[in-house]
Amino acid sequence: MKQNAQGTSDPTPFDRVLTMFKKTPESIVGFFVVVLFILTGIIVTIFDLLGIRVTPYNPIQQNVGVALSGPSWDHLFGCDFLGRDVFSRVIASVPNDVAVSFSVVFVAIIVGALLGSLAGFKGGLLDELLMRFTDVIFSLPVLVIAMVIAVALGPGLTHMMIAMIVIWWPPYARMARGESLRVAHQNFIEAAKFAGQRTLGILFKHVLPNISITMLVYATLDVGTVILVYAGLSYLGLSVRPPLPDLGEMISNSQDYLITAPWLPIIPGIVIAVIVIGFSVLGDGIRDALEAR
Amino acid sequence: MEDLLSIEGFSVKYTTSSGTVTALDNVSLDLHPNELLAIVGESGCGKSTLGLSIIGLLPRSTATVSSGSVLYKSKDLVKLDSNKIREYRGTEIAMIFQEPLTSLSPVYKVGEQIAEAIMIRELRKKGHKVHSDLMQHTYTKQTQKISRLPRLSRKIPTDLKNEVIDYLKLVRIADAEQVLDRYPFELSGGMTQRVMIAMALSQEPALLIADEPTTALDVTTQAQVLKLMKELMHKVETSILLVTHDLAVASQVADRVIVMYAGEIAENADVYSLFSKPLHPYTSGLLACVPTGYKDTEELTPIAGTIPDLRNPPTGCKFAPRCPRAMDVCTTTRPHLTSQEDNRSVSCFLYE
Amino acid sequence: MSSETILSTENVTKYFPVRKGLNPFSKEKRFIRAVDGVSITIRKGMTVAVVGESGCGKTTLARTVALMTPPTGGKIVFSGRDISSGRIDRTELYKEMQMVFQDPESSLDPRMKVGQSIAEPLRGLMSWKKDEIDEAVKRSLKAVGLSEDYAQRLPRQLSGGQKQRVAIARAISTQPSLVILDEPTSALDASVQAQILKLLLDLQKEFKLSYMLITHNIAVAQYMSDYIAVMYAGNVVEYGPTKTVITKPRHPYTIALISSAPIPDPTKKNLLQVEIKGEVPSAITPPPGCRFNPRCPYAESFCSEQNPALEEISPQRFVACHFVQKTA
Repeated sequence: MKQNAQGTSDPTPFDRVLTMFKKTPESIVGFFVVVLFILTGIIVTIFDLLGIRVTPYNPIQQNVGVALSGPSWDHLFGCDFLGRDVFSRVIASVPNDVAVSFSVVFVAIIVGALLGSLAGFKGGLLDELLMRFTDVIFSLPVLVIAMVIAVALGPGLTHMMIAMIVIWWPPYARMARGESLRVAHQNFIEAAKFAGQRTLGILFKHVLPNISITMLVYATLDVGTVILVYAGLSYLGLSVRPPLPDLGEMISNSQDYLITAPWLPIIPGIVIAVIVIGFSVLGDGIRDALEAR
Repeated sequence: MEDLLSIEGFSVKYTTSSGTVTALDNVSLDLHPNELLAIVGESGCGKSTLGLSIIGLLPRSTATVSSGSVLYKSKDLVKLDSNKIREYRGTEIAMIFQEPLTSLSPVYKVGEQIAEAIMIRELRKKGHKVHSDLMQHTYTKQTQKISRLPRLSRKIPTDLKNEVIDYLKLVRIADAEQVLDRYPFELSGGMTQRVMIAMALSQEPALLIADEPTTALDVTTQAQVLKLMKELMHKVETSILLVTHDLAVASQVADRVIVMYAGEIAENADVYSLFSKPLHPYTSGLLACVPTGYKDTEELTPIAGTIPDLRNPPTGCKFAPRCPRAMDVCTTTRPHLTSQEDNRSVSCFLYE
Repeated sequence: MSSETILSTENVTKYFPVRKGLNPFSKEKRFIRAVDGVSITIRKGMTVAVVGESGCGKTTLARTVALMTPPTGGKIVFSGRDISSGRIDRTELYKEMQMVFQDPESSLDPRMKVGQSIAEPLRGLMSWKKDEIDEAVKRSLKAVGLSEDYAQRLPRQLSGGQKQRVAIARAISTQPSLVILDEPTSALDASVQAQILKLLLDLQKEFKLSYMLITHNIAVAQYMSDYIAVMYAGNVVEYGPTKTVITKPRHPYTIALISSAPIPDPTKKNLLQVEIKGEVPSAITPPPGCRFNPRCPYAESFCSEQNPALEEISPQRFVACHFVQKTA
């Protein structure tokens, strides 16, 4: 523990995580869901690349004999109308969500932070131009863009990733701009000028590090939103096509069986919900913990 | 002469995430009618807490009065609940704070606000229980009212208008007729502070608590406002409790000065005695810190060390670690405020 | 005190354009005349205090002199070089000219260690190696009375006074010839202020620094400086050796300003004798003639006709007042 000005100890990051869990107990659940989500995605991808199957059954293997069978010890989530094991399909589709959500948010933060902080810091005409551009992009509906790209380039995971990346960054730009306006008036920015720093140097060394926390907290909450929106696109058939598994697509293809085999459309829906809520709750916990300071 | 305000053994604690802070530790003082008492100290000494706690403006979630009483005209304000205290706050006990703009409503003109203050006073005199958000400080979050004032129409009633102008003139605002029609944000800092004084005085308060009223003002404006407060004090028969970090300001306007350190009263004396013969080593240290001369002739002697951590105050006298005249007893036992001759008191073993 | 001039300004002006009305394409421009023709001189080892109240232009003057914002007009000569064009290599300039800011809380990047903050001007302006920089940081910390281990601390672990010491350490790390002090102690408690002022004087002696001290606190200006320049509404209205300006002020504004400064002595109730009316004038449309004339107890008709220039009324004493100049 470090000594602070008063001579008492300052909490380490580990202490702060524990405090967060104590303060907002539900964030523990969120934390585990998120960790499980990310680990599943990573493990499945790695083993996939090595050619080893990690799921109990082959996700695209049909077995008409067990078609539409309900959840059992053999098939934890039951089988779909082609006899494919739903549990395996769910596990196999997690990497998609991990890939999409993290890459969209990652690019959005970077693009948003750079554009927003530049606009906020420099102000004037540059600020106006960048912000009006941001407004235009912000007004584009994700669905329309996704459909346009699906028409132009065809459906698929990467194409949907591109569609979302294109329009996801404006809120980050706005946030970065607001935060950098706050930081820009601080004396240490002036002091940096006296140290010979130019705009870009100040942005990277002083502005961005000081606005990153707010943005990261928002990003944590945002990952869940990305997953939800992506599930919607996948539901519409714009992303991964069958027989490859994807949560949203699994829902749309099995919704006819809502009465006869309800687990088919409901379970993927629950899985999406759990992941989204997990991120949401974790993000809340982080925000509450940081606000308290 | 009966004391207007009599504070006895008053202690206030704040609970924070890193421990309990004793902001006020066994504070006792008396304020007489028609007296200007200055509470002087540096940041963290508790002077603002003292001013706020008298009329119950401490944040309820974190601050607790752990002991003591605050007797105003023999009534213990500490024992009053939040509704009862609102009858005193902004009426008999008026306040002005450092940032006048946060105390005035931005959506009403200055004249309307003063008029409302006058209306409150009249209703009070007739025996109604009144209070409005106007005279409360922005710290308060409660908005319960016992009686609601009629909504002001845009025109101020003529009989009130003259009195409003009188008050504006009283606080030396030139062009009172024009200022009537202005909104607070249109006025300068000095003028808004004077409007605050006008509103506070319109209540004909017995006690005016002023918490750093001139700190945010320019030097010349500060001089005008302080001079005004002193003049009005005698005209309207109000006592003033002036909280300030500025010893020089205290020396200019106060009748009596209390020096605070780390939540305790270090010394209490009339202004002439305090400055000519400071008893407590902190007081003399503070006086030696203030530049009054030139660098080649004067030696500024700073006080060594820093203020103690109020979550973990030292045993014994809180000033002992920094005191050039500390004795053994100072590090083990807490000194108490003891009376000295000339109607003064000091909390220091050098005089016990 | 040598006679080498470190800084001299000649009629420096700084105007900020303000658009009249809402039309962004309107050609009509008005200006905030923040600094309206200021000429001061600072010699080596000397402290010149620029005093005034809010809106007088003293902070803008400091920022203009430091080329934080380009001057609108006039000349700024630093160590013999004309830097007014702004087309100058800042790297060279800031090796010799540094600034300490008013608010210690925002002077340090909260995410950088103290040592890194102090080293920043060294890394940006000097081409020194890492160990040279580390040594310089240690020396700076020592010079301001902080131990070496402070280099590893973060700003939030420091008190206000300690933060200001770090800011001073940073400013002197390049061993500049001029340090601009912008209200260096206004945000500090009295006892801490005394420590910092004493430190600044010690450093001045040790490193032969020149100070441009911006302050609204007369007592601080009186204590710290050799010369005082009193500013009002963008102009310097009085300038001279500190002792003389304080004990024998000539300009009516200076008289009011000095008598407004409370003296910590209850037997000298100077405050209650001050008579000054009115408010600081608008910086966009200053009153015609002498800026102070609407508030001046000695104003005559010619005062509203022409703004008096700063004239030397006696050796080293400059006053900008018709009345004073006529009777000098």
